[in-house]
Amino acid sequence: MLSFLYARQSGLDDPVRLRRAESTRRVLSLELNHNRDVDRIHGNGINTLDTEVIDGRYMLSGGSDGVIVIYDLENNSKKPQYTCKAICTVGRSVCRHVHKFSVETVQWYPHDTGMFVSSSFDKTMKVWDTETLKPAEEFQFDGNVYCHHMSPVARKQSLVAGVFSDQTKPSACEMVNVSLTGHRGEILSVRWSPRYDHILATASTDSRVRIWDVRRASGSLFTLDQHNGDKSKASSEAVNTAHNGRVNGLCFTADGLHLLSTGTDDRMRLWNSGTGENTLVNYGKVVNESRKGLKFTVSRGCSPEFVFVPCGSSVAVYGLHSGELITMLRGHYNNVDCCEFHPDYQELYSGGKDCNILAWVPVLRQPGIEDDETNSKRGGTQAAINPAFEDAWSSDED
Amino acid sequence: MSRKRALIADTFCLTKRRRCAADSVTDGAADIRSSLQYLMTLFSRKLFNDSLPPVVLKHQLYSLHNDKTSVDKQVNELRENGDLLMFQLGFDSEAFALVFAEDYRTKVLQGEAGRETLGTVEKFLAKLIPGCSDLSFNKEKMLKEFLFTDPAITQLVKSGVLTVRDAGSWWLSIPNSGKFIKYFIKGRKAVLGMVKKSKYGEILKTELEGHHTTSQVKFQMKYHIHEIMGAELVESIQTTSGTLLRYVDGNVN
Repeated sequence: MLSFLYARQSGLDDPVRLRRAESTRRVLSLELNHNRDVDRIHGNGINTLDTEVIDGRYMLSGGSDGVIVIYDLENNSKKPQYTCKAICTVGRSVCRHVHKFSVETVQWYPHDTGMFVSSSFDKTMKVWDTETLKPAEEFQFDGNVYCHHMSPVARKQSLVAGVFSDQTKPSACEMVNVSLTGHRGEILSVRWSPRYDHILATASTDSRVRIWDVRRASGSLFTLDQHNGDKSKASSEAVNTAHNGRVNGLCFTADGLHLLSTGTDDRMRLWNSGTGENTLVNYGKVVNESRKGLKFTVSRGCSPEFVFVPCGSSVAVYGLHSGELITMLRGHYNNVDCCEFHPDYQELYSGGKDCNILAWVPVLRQPGIEDDETNSKRGGTQAAINPAFEDAWSSDED
Repeated sequence: MSRKRALIADTFCLTKRRRCAADSVTDGAADIRSSLQYLMTLFSRKLFNDSLPPVVLKHQLYSLHNDKTSVDKQVNELRENGDLLMFQLGFDSEAFALVFAEDYRTKVLQGEAGRETLGTVEKFLAKLIPGCSDLSFNKEKMLKEFLFTDPAITQLVKSGVLTVRDAGSWWLSIPNSGKFIKYFIKGRKAVLGMVKKSKYGEILKTELEGHHTTSQVKFQMKYHIHEIMGAELVESIQTTSGTLLRYVDGNVN
């Protein structure tokens, strides 16, 4: 650590290097924190979490009971024991605009906390005003909305991409009146690229992941193929598919160069988002039994990046490019549905069917335990002396 | 805990990494080959009257080496060189069988000796072994690239070197491997049952190796144990008494 500080000070190293090394060290020491709690408001499972990008202070959560809650994550009390309070709730009794069925996805407006968008199984997508907690806009769909996403980098126009299931039409990804067709099964997940504001990825139950350019809404740019075009490897139905089962989770890495997808064939794959090539990183068996979308996340700002995937009732942490399982974060009592990484403090928040949101906080360096013990033996009146400076030959009894 | 400490040390101690980097790269390829040879010795030849070459499954290698991505890379390298052949077994889209090319050639020719399909099979093997690393072939490829005629393709299917995949395309296969797959699936189910029935659903690996094999299990226990560990059908946990295998719920088998 000291060598990193000295190298930074003397200009040998880039300033980012120290930050990355320290972030990585913190992520590797993530543990369930006994001091940090999140208010328990939801009566049913939590489906989605989102932290706002500007300050990283407020977090939204959406639950299976249709309730949306906003929490304040900042610790203003001077004590280490802290509960993240719920600032406001869009609840069943309070608000008459509340969603009738389960809220599947919530997301803050990417540029400020003035509004957020939520979509739910009651076939609507609502744009809420945070001040008044009333929906400013409501979109009706014909089927359950599984997922929506707003582009984090779009400056000129903000488009929301929503995907829904529909009995009459083949599934389409609908954005403010533009419909993209091409998938043959329900679409479970949609993500905008954080690098280009016109690239969109969708994942569906027909085992395919498609990449679209919204400027030409004629067809997808390409489909991701797990065998990289080697048609001999797959059986003939499975040619040109991303997974051997339903694809239910998508996540871009922070720089937008890679895309991760998870499927019900218990596999997670890393793709090059520019060429659509499977990088063939083998993560092993990533248990995935989710019938709807799975929300997982990638760390930002660490040197080997990490993927946090909910696996059953724990969260698995994998190295992004090496594919090795670093650790499993255990703490939930039931299935974990979503997790969210806070890049500034390297904290992870995860929510699941047990109605709890757990905070995983890096464990700081512990003070030396030996000094405290010897202190209490001597009566605790003297200050703790470093054992290196103690002399072993003098005795207090003389 | 110890895994985390090792990784942190890497990030902060750059000099150590530079020194060891050179050794680890060269060790890699040799390692996979020696692991493959070790696994081949576990394969019971006598069971099939010596008509099958020793077959190893790709995920058995995952139980011997930590980094799955580098195992995959090295297996692909060996395939490109023409030393190793990979086959798609029918029962699982992710299960691949590996056979050394030389063993495959000798066994197939040994099985074909005296039959009229010998000539076609020899021609096919000559085309296959040094150059081609595909798992399946479709009609155009057989007709144009390999210059086989339709009756020749029928002869290849009859001899067992090709199996039907769907109309107009064929998987590469090992002749007489039907018995192998049957015994393999039965044995795997029996071994998993042994793990499941033990107290608390977990058993030490050394204890399981010493278990008497039932009539269902025709292969060596070690062969099956490497296979279920590599396919992650059981969770392997390091304990102070050795490796513990715990049955994972939610298995299809």
